[in-house]
Amino acid sequence: MSYAKPSDKFLASRGISLVKQLTVDQIDALKELINIGVGRAASLLNEMVGFPICLEIPFIQVFTVEDLQQELIARFNSNYLATVRLEFSGSINGSAELVFPTESASTLVSILTGEDLGSPDLDAVKIGTLTEVGNIVINGVIGSLGNLLKQRMNYLIPTYTEDTVENLFAAVEPDDSTIVLAQASFTIEQLQVIGDLIFIFELQTFDQLIAAIEEVA
Amino acid sequence: MISVLIVDDAAFSRRMIRKFLQADGYEIWEATNGKEALSIVRDRAPDCLVTDILMPDMNGFELIQTLKEQGLAIPTIIISADIQESSRQRGYNLGAAAFINKPPKEDELRQTVRQVFSF
Repeated sequence: MSYAKPSDKFLASRGISLVKQLTVDQIDALKELINIGVGRAASLLNEMVGFPICLEIPFIQVFTVEDLQQELIARFNSNYLATVRLEFSGSINGSAELVFPTESASTLVSILTGEDLGSPDLDAVKIGTLTEVGNIVINGVIGSLGNLLKQRMNYLIPTYTEDTVENLFAAVEPDDSTIVLAQASFTIEQLQVIGDLIFIFELQTFDQLIAAIEEVA
Repeated sequence: MISVLIVDDAAFSRRMIRKFLQADGYEIWEATNGKEALSIVRDRAPDCLVTDILMPDMNGFELIQTLKEQGLAIPTIIISADIQESSRQRGYNLGAAAFINKPPKEDELRQTVRQVFSF
């Protein structure tokens, strides 16, 4: 799958010069840090569900919110998704999301709780279970990033939402409509579960992330 | 009977921890945040606390700090998804007996609780 990348002209028109600031080595280092964190998160998810987790190499991209929405609709072939969002702040601000189709969400809860798919009890435990799974998985990545970069992260309480892709990202302010995105896709083949881990870094603090990477690289 | 208070806003995690600890025959109580936990501590004086960090109303660090300030010394084990070294260190600095990352492994959790009671 190919991904639309905003042109430099488009970015410049919005006062964004971030793409030019990122060298190949910086992108490589950031990708590796995300990779390490996602690997840890996959290990945690594997412990919970008991099936192997297949990971794709994460990619780093600068997206508009519209680009991100189109990308998610295309990847999951659905406009209605389940997400667990964890916002973080500190020397680096942003949010991380565990995103999957609602069918995958139900399958995961069924495996984790032992409730049958379609059972009324499944819905009752769904939100709490998935929120906690998202919390554990996202902490695995962001915490790993923080540990490697020696940067302290503070978290808000994670939230679970099922909604259209447009509504899920409606809260992003127009001024912040270009986002730095790190995306890692995973599959649990035996369960036919697919999902994405998405990290949105605020542009204002992204320079600090790059500076921290250069210190440890 | 030895009692353990599990403090976690996630029912999924409380259920998992309860299942592991019930195997060792402890009496289990549950709270969904630090405030609820404080109330149960005052009323029932549990022998051990097992607490999450990130919770609404009063988080795990605030709970441990408050217990200390009120002179309620209870052995406390933190079980958190937060894998940051700084969080682990903060937990130990506050006096936590152990810091375990989620999801907890059954053997590790049971062993840790047993160690708390062996001192």
